[in-house]
Amino acid sequence: MVTVSHPRAEGGRLSGLLLVALPVVLLIWLVLWPVLQAFVGTLYFPGKGFSAASYVYFFSDAYSLRNLWLTLWVTALTSALRVAFAMPIAIYLRFRKGSIAAFVQSLALFPMFVPSVLVAYAFIRVLGPNGIIDTLLVAVHLPKLPSPYLAPAGPIIGLVWEGLPLTLLLLLSGLGRVSTASVEAARDLGAKGWTIFTRIILPRIQSSIIVALAFNVLGLFSAFTLPYLLGPASPEMMGPYMQRTFSDNADPLNATTQAVITFAFCAAFGVIYVRAIAKGRKGPA
Amino acid sequence: MNRREFLMVSAAAGLAASTRFAAAATRLDMYTASDANISDFFNNVIKPAFEAANAGIELNVVIARPSAALDAVAQRALAALSAKADPQMDFIEAYEPMLPAGGIEAGLWTDFSKAGLKNYGAVNKLAIQTTFGLPYRGSQVLLAYDTTKLPKDKAPKTFADLVAWIKANPGQFIYNRPDKGGSGFNFVNRVLHEVSGRDPGKFKVDNFNQATADEVLGKTWAVLADLAPSLYQNGSYTAGNTASLQLLAQGAVTMIPAWSDQALQAIAKGVLPETTGLVQLSDLALCGGFSQAVIPTNAANRDASLKFADFLLLPETQAVIIEKLGGFPGVDWSNLPKALHDKYADVIPSSIPTFPSGDWTKAVQDGWYRNVAPNISRT
Repeated sequence: MVTVSHPRAEGGRLSGLLLVALPVVLLIWLVLWPVLQAFVGTLYFPGKGFSAASYVYFFSDAYSLRNLWLTLWVTALTSALRVAFAMPIAIYLRFRKGSIAAFVQSLALFPMFVPSVLVAYAFIRVLGPNGIIDTLLVAVHLPKLPSPYLAPAGPIIGLVWEGLPLTLLLLLSGLGRVSTASVEAARDLGAKGWTIFTRIILPRIQSSIIVALAFNVLGLFSAFTLPYLLGPASPEMMGPYMQRTFSDNADPLNATTQAVITFAFCAAFGVIYVRAIAKGRKGPA
Repeated sequence: MNRREFLMVSAAAGLAASTRFAAAATRLDMYTASDANISDFFNNVIKPAFEAANAGIELNVVIARPSAALDAVAQRALAALSAKADPQMDFIEAYEPMLPAGGIEAGLWTDFSKAGLKNYGAVNKLAIQTTFGLPYRGSQVLLAYDTTKLPKDKAPKTFADLVAWIKANPGQFIYNRPDKGGSGFNFVNRVLHEVSGRDPGKFKVDNFNQATADEVLGKTWAVLADLAPSLYQNGSYTAGNTASLQLLAQGAVTMIPAWSDQALQAIAKGVLPETTGLVQLSDLALCGGFSQAVIPTNAANRDASLKFADFLLLPETQAVIIEKLGGFPGVDWSNLPKALHDKYADVIPSSIPTFPSGDWTKAVQDGWYRNVAPNISRT
């Protein structure tokens, strides 16, 4: 990056700082302060001193660990599936124009505008027991599918569909950086589709993929509605588990501890995201 | 009149109208944490009827789900009582008057027996647990089943029959997670009653004891874990009362535990088919209870709240509770038309066992998640 000295640099810096002041203040007040409060509140008890007992309990409780493990697992699998599904659509949309491409794009972005409660009920009606798919299969004398409703696959299918648009948009913006000329040049030299993808396209959109994965992880870690309505009773994902601990068990200390642990995982992915952004800025534009 | 004049005149008229209404109308803030069928019933049926009969009072239905949210509202009312402030709440449609702790001693809830209600004499004496709560409607968990797959005369009548039926028909029964809805919760409680000698009186709001709980709950988990492989999808549990009704409606299962009011309402609306059968266990019924309305003594609109309480006990209101809501009346059946009694004879309970809220509930719900839910074998 080249710094250019500018006569208006001083004034520009001040107004720039003023512009970012509001979001920064909001961030400190609504995010960082509660996080600090939660963190301190689970470790320091006025009049009793420091105690990490709730953390020791969480990490020695097989049930809690199973829930954490499930959350990590669902998050990893769902993020990977979202990128895997969005990639071919993104590449298609990048290199094809016309009414069919526009139709595919609107279809792929549609889930963005559907609230997750509706996704859940639509899912139950379509993929659930004796749902539309089963009805169609029976009509052509095929056996019914084992329904993913209330099984571990249920929330994953719902979450993949729900998160597809954001992933697609992020990948599309990355693909904008791949020049048509370089792809055509590679093709002229006899490169096949797979080679073009791994040698030309992938290196250019690496940071977009990392950004997409980081965004997905942050959203998925706190997923609530779909795991609650479509998933099995146990193990629970951290979202429903925290809610249950807080309101059903009336146990704010352990609920906060779970939240702090969840936040720590998300913060780690936040760091990866910020690094990817920084790298993208430094790298060739 | 030009456009500007018109706007000014209409603005002035609007202002006058709004202040007039604000002066005349008393807004009665009624809180509820019950399922959507209850809040809809209050908004669509009770509100218009009550407001028509009591000009100048507006019923404002405030939905505070889950029930933990109501605890916060009740605690705020208790704090307001000691600070002599407005609790900003006039009426809770269904709450446990024993909560918050120390509330009754501090004089938080209105004693209905001394509140001068015209219709209090009609209340079913068996339903009164404390005079600080007004039992105005009841409902109970029973078994709803598909009569096209299970003929009425073959439906299980005792707990042992039920267990035998579930095992003989794998995949045809499901109950919801006990913390997500009372139908599944009271099925789990019925198992607890079965293993502890069929005496619901053993469990009280203030007699929780870890040693007893470990012993009886251990047996309960054993029975439920033994049933799990015979449940829908080898041990799946729905996320609520309505999700179970939906599986029954879709024909995915043959039998579920269900709230009597939700089942009757679903049948009346066609959500469940006409061929749905309802049966209660005869050795010991599944739990249920009367919803107890409470009124804080420091409510800003306490007089209007008492009028509302009286309104809920009117024979006409009680009749719509039965017909539109599928609930049990809070008043004695002798105050209601006999035809109504005969029509609902199937679901009128001879007894309604109850299960205490508080520590026992927490122990059952969290224990279930830790001991029953994970034992899923999907082979």
